[in-house]
Amino acid sequence: MRLLRIVATLAWRNLWRNRRRTLIMVAAVSVGVWAMIFMNALMRGMVDDMVRSGIESLPGHVQVHRLGFRDDPSINNLLPLNDAELAAKLDAAGLVAWSSRINVPAVITSERESRGVTLYGIDPERERKITFVPNSIVAGRFLEGVSDKGIVIGRRLLDALETDLGKRVVVMSQDPDNEIADRGFRIVGVFEAKLESYEETMVFAGKSTVQRMLHVADRVTEVAIMSDDYRFVEQTVQTVRDKLGADVEVLPWTELNTYLASMLTVMDGFALVWTIVIFLALSFGLVNTLVMAVFERVREIGLMLALGMRPFGILAQVVIESLLLLLMGLALGTLLAWLSILPLQSGIDVSAVADGMEMFGSSSVLYPKLTMADVVLANVVVLGLGFIASLSPAWRASRYQPIEAITKV
Amino acid sequence: MVLRMFWVILLAAISGVPGLAEDNATEIVRAAIDHWRGDTSYSEFTMIIHRPDWERSVSMLAWTQGDDRSLVRVTSPARDRGTGTLMRDNNMWSYAPKINRVIKIPSSMMGQSWMGSDFSNKDVSRADDIVDLYEHTLLGTSEDDGHVVNEIEAVPLEDAAVVWGKEVLLIRDDHVVLEHRFYDQDGELIKLLRSLEVGEMGGRSVALRQRMINTENPGEWTEIQLDAIEYDVALSDRLFSLSNLRNPRN
Repeated sequence: MRLLRIVATLAWRNLWRNRRRTLIMVAAVSVGVWAMIFMNALMRGMVDDMVRSGIESLPGHVQVHRLGFRDDPSINNLLPLNDAELAAKLDAAGLVAWSSRINVPAVITSERESRGVTLYGIDPERERKITFVPNSIVAGRFLEGVSDKGIVIGRRLLDALETDLGKRVVVMSQDPDNEIADRGFRIVGVFEAKLESYEETMVFAGKSTVQRMLHVADRVTEVAIMSDDYRFVEQTVQTVRDKLGADVEVLPWTELNTYLASMLTVMDGFALVWTIVIFLALSFGLVNTLVMAVFERVREIGLMLALGMRPFGILAQVVIESLLLLLMGLALGTLLAWLSILPLQSGIDVSAVADGMEMFGSSSVLYPKLTMADVVLANVVVLGLGFIASLSPAWRASRYQPIEAITKV
Repeated sequence: MVLRMFWVILLAAISGVPGLAEDNATEIVRAAIDHWRGDTSYSEFTMIIHRPDWERSVSMLAWTQGDDRSLVRVTSPARDRGTGTLMRDNNMWSYAPKINRVIKIPSSMMGQSWMGSDFSNKDVSRADDIVDLYEHTLLGTSEDDGHVVNEIEAVPLEDAAVVWGKEVLLIRDDHVVLEHRFYDQDGELIKLLRSLEVGEMGGRSVALRQRMINTENPGEWTEIQLDAIEYDVALSDRLFSLSNLRNPRN
């Protein structure tokens, strides 16, 4: 213990014998650590945003369909249970929120244009807790009940159809007998979404109105269910499966949108790879600094050995010197990362590359997300691998023969 | 009875005849549609599709029965011969002899052009919607060529599957539709169907030449020339079947 204290004191003082070199090394380490944490926060924020908006537009953490609906999302694949049966079973299950809906491919037509869309017949009250649309209305209002005769469409679709709030559009689809089902709707609300494709392809109308239009009485195609946290949905899936029986497909969002789910896994791997790559660059500088420090002090090390210091003491001295260096760099780098992320938490506007971001489902504003796990990862990797990297120069320093070392010019 | 007449006249005098005029207007439109179709009809006509840099004409035969069944078949040009369209209730099928396939026109394609013309599939298959899905008002009458012409405004019902803001029809007292204008919801004229020539054929007065004009592209229009028409012909039920669409036996 006493040896360690002496060695630590020696290491600390040695560190400041060449002030400039030490400061440069501390700066290098802190910039490296800053880059690790900052980049990871940025990527985390992006992936988190993708997952959230992906879930909001699915929507729901868990969805129920008839078997085969996902392969052929047509009106023929209605859920075997009607609204009342679903309500009886799901209200008793103690879920955070759930909503049944109809979604079918449809065509929306104005006087001048027509577009292919997905028509959602929803229950506005229940949907409020699940999807983003009620909170994204920029003109007019959201639907007011299941029998609302209005329609809510996206800003871009509104522009594409050359129509306007308060005007009528015609929505056409097919009923279960493959007969044309169509109806006029007045546009009562316009929404904006983070992703342009949602604005172009999603239209919302009252559930009962859509059921009447499609001649499906009180049947629906889909149930969306929320759980407490999108990371832990297995429990909810199990509860719903138990309630609804085996002839429906109950799937968590990780299976509904496997792309999003795999993004989350890839992100964890990416964080580690990125951290190690930066460290590798750092470690050359670190090892180089240590080798130089040892080389300058060959005679001094020989003298200490000759005076009776154990080789272990020399080894410890170099390793501690390296760890002190890294600790200073880490503290500074982490602080730097925290300080630089703090003012950016309200979002970084990258709309210049919005099209590219949209391609993989991210919006044009990035919200960096600092997580404890990433900070710990960066610090542990740097300290751990730094320790291993400094072992080699330290080992060499401890193996000097006292006579040779002292007489070395 | 006399008393009732009295009340009707009194009410009409007070309120400017709104209710009465509306029923009247609806009747005029219904009569015009019935007159145009007849109970059954067989006709030969030529469709001329005009564009600024080209023109094409297609000759066709058409059979109709009531207001929900019709069959159209192309006779020339030779490369399109046999192409047919069958409309039954609100559904529409198309037959292309080159690929020997009957295709049901899905709802997504109802708004698209029929055989490349300025008529949409919907215009062709759902002509009688103008009676059921609209509220009609008589705007006024005028004289033309010794006939009374009624100007009727048709406004689609709230949930009708119609994109137009309103339509205006000019209907002569012998049930010939002289003009059918389509307005958008800002009251701007988008397209109109005008009868360029009216005459006697098949024992009725009918529009011999009609032109669909798109007001936003004045150089593009589609004209329909009636070459022959017969009303109240005997048609077998089988005529309006899918198998007959594919293998003509008439």
